[in-house]
Amino acid sequence: MSNSATATQGVTGQPRASERAVDIRDAHYVYPTGNVVALGGVDLRVEHGEILGIIGQNGSGKTTLTKLFNGLLKPTSGKILINGIDTSTQTVQQMAAHVGYVFQNPNHQLFARSIEEELKFGPRNIGVPEDELDERVAQAVEFFGLKDYIAEHPYRVSFPIRKLVGIASIVTMRPSILIFDEPSTGQDHNTTHIINGLMRRLRDEGTTVICVSHDMPLLADVVKRVIVMKDTRIIADASPREVFADKALMARTNLQAPQITEIALNTVVPRGGHVALTPEELAADISTRIRGTAVTPSSTAR
Amino acid sequence: MSMQMALPIAMIPGNSVIHRINPLAKIVWVVGYIALAFSTQNVFLLYGMALFAFLLAPIAGVTKPLLKGALILVPVASSLLAIQIIAPAVEKPWTHVADIGVLQLYGDGLYYGFVLLGRVVSCLLMALIMVMTTHPSDLFTSLSKLKIPYAFNFMLAMTLQLIPVFQREVGIIMSAQKSRGMKGRGFAAVLPSFVPVFVGAIERVQQLSISLESRGFGSNGFKTSYRQVKVRPSDWVIGIIGALLLATLVTVSIMRGLWSVSSLVVFPHIFVFWLFIVAAGTFAAIILATLIYAFKK
Ligand SMILES: Nc1ncnc2c1ncn2[C@@H]1O[C@H](COP(=O)(O)OP(=O)(O)O)[C@@H](O)[C@H]1O
Ligand SMILES: [Mg+2]
Repeated sequence: MSNSATATQGVTGQPRASERAVDIRDAHYVYPTGNVVALGGVDLRVEHGEILGIIGQNGSGKTTLTKLFNGLLKPTSGKILINGIDTSTQTVQQMAAHVGYVFQNPNHQLFARSIEEELKFGPRNIGVPEDELDERVAQAVEFFGLKDYIAEHPYRVSFPIRKLVGIASIVTMRPSILIFDEPSTGQDHNTTHIINGLMRRLRDEGTTVICVSHDMPLLADVVKRVIVMKDTRIIADASPREVFADKALMARTNLQAPQITEIALNTVVPRGGHVALTPEELAADISTRIRGTAVTPSSTAR
Repeated sequence: MSMQMALPIAMIPGNSVIHRINPLAKIVWVVGYIALAFSTQNVFLLYGMALFAFLLAPIAGVTKPLLKGALILVPVASSLLAIQIIAPAVEKPWTHVADIGVLQLYGDGLYYGFVLLGRVVSCLLMALIMVMTTHPSDLFTSLSKLKIPYAFNFMLAMTLQLIPVFQREVGIIMSAQKSRGMKGRGFAAVLPSFVPVFVGAIERVQQLSISLESRGFGSNGFKTSYRQVKVRPSDWVIGIIGALLLATLVTVSIMRGLWSVSSLVVFPHIFVFWLFIVAAGTFAAIILATLIYAFKK
């Protein structure tokens, strides 16, 4: 097992600027167990710093697609280039420096004696020096609000906190591409808020984020581009506003636009209003209609 | 890189002739195999039984997983035969066959070694064929018909049903660790991954026991089953033929004083010598590989 990819890319897995973050050409994937076709020809290009949402019904192939990104699965046919690197030539361990993958269930991920050790495990594996480890852990503890739990065993904290630890343990690796599989499932209000904030911070830092989610408000809030999957293929690729406004598409895939968007579509949109993604947008639209002017100019700033 | 590291001891779904045989008929065969294997010392019979069981695999479409499962026999077979050659489990005097350094090789224990191995191989193959072609729930229903105590039956069924679940979990957990750049492939490096597996297992068992209690597990009375297991005429035929055939062979075997044919089987010295080289070599290689695997980081 050689480490050449990690060596040339440095421990943070910084991409070469000329390459795309993700470049997938005609990827097919068939699970050997039972010959299940999970991907039937997927093309996808993602630029550095993009925030991408992936939606689609259960079984449509979302998880399979994301597992191609860090080489956990190698395509049955087709090509996967990540930061310009062909995943078929790399081990998952080598890809780990480029692509962070947050598993849906934190219980599958956590094993260390303490949350602190858990947060250090990934970055240590990709060769981050010890003093920098402490700094990264301190930052993560601060951001995710884990101060009170740092010495706890990962299995002794509540599920939402454990999920945050699972996310934090990947974020401390500072990969240039981060994949989340259903980050907000089973979360409470507080942790959802933190995850929301994380997405925004990652966007501001220029990390490429790919987020599989059923949490439409989360996507509407932070994502600029949404991919819709159905029956092993990508059937739509557009802004969340366009995707959520497409009633036929949403019905065909059994998905529901955020409630706010639904309300907008059934009220102001037929009267020439625009497709709202957040309560603030809809409120602004409605109040303009009622009084001819917005209630608070500040809330229309979006 | 496959995410599944399947231990081949779970059911392989299918709809072959073998899959469709009633579990009770299969149990008859497995029990009969065990009874016969331990009441005979006839190597031809034992390896004939093994061959018959093995020939069922292609019919059931489980040849590959069966071979995987039978890999466990490699260390068993090589150590067993090698030891029988240097230290026969029969009375002296032994006939000296050859020397390798300080080791003296004998052919006398070899027949008995092949008998022991034949027992293990034939029973293991038959049992694997049964487990791989029978749905755990069907086995459960069939065993309750036999008035096997409910709790015992339940333990068996749960164990068989949880095996594929844990296999899947282990696969996911290993890939989660790899995604975080887990280095090394040695046992020591993989060990931490089993924390989540055990935690998951314990949590699952706790939930299971709560859910069982809330559904009246342990209450008395007649129990019905959701899965109906049909007994067709062909199942009767297979079961009865199995019972008769195997019972006859058991009887014949016992009447002939375990039917040992050791006097008919003569191992040439050169065969004993090379068998020892191969068996001892294989076993040593396995031990060495395991040690390297365990201490490599
Ligand atoms: N390990 C596996 N073995 C066999 N089939 C699988 C496996 N994982 C997923 N599948 C199948 O592949 C298809 C796509 O699954 P997945 O990518 O998990 O979809 P999603 O994440 O969108 O729910 C489904 O039909 C699913 O049953
Ligand atoms: Mg999924």
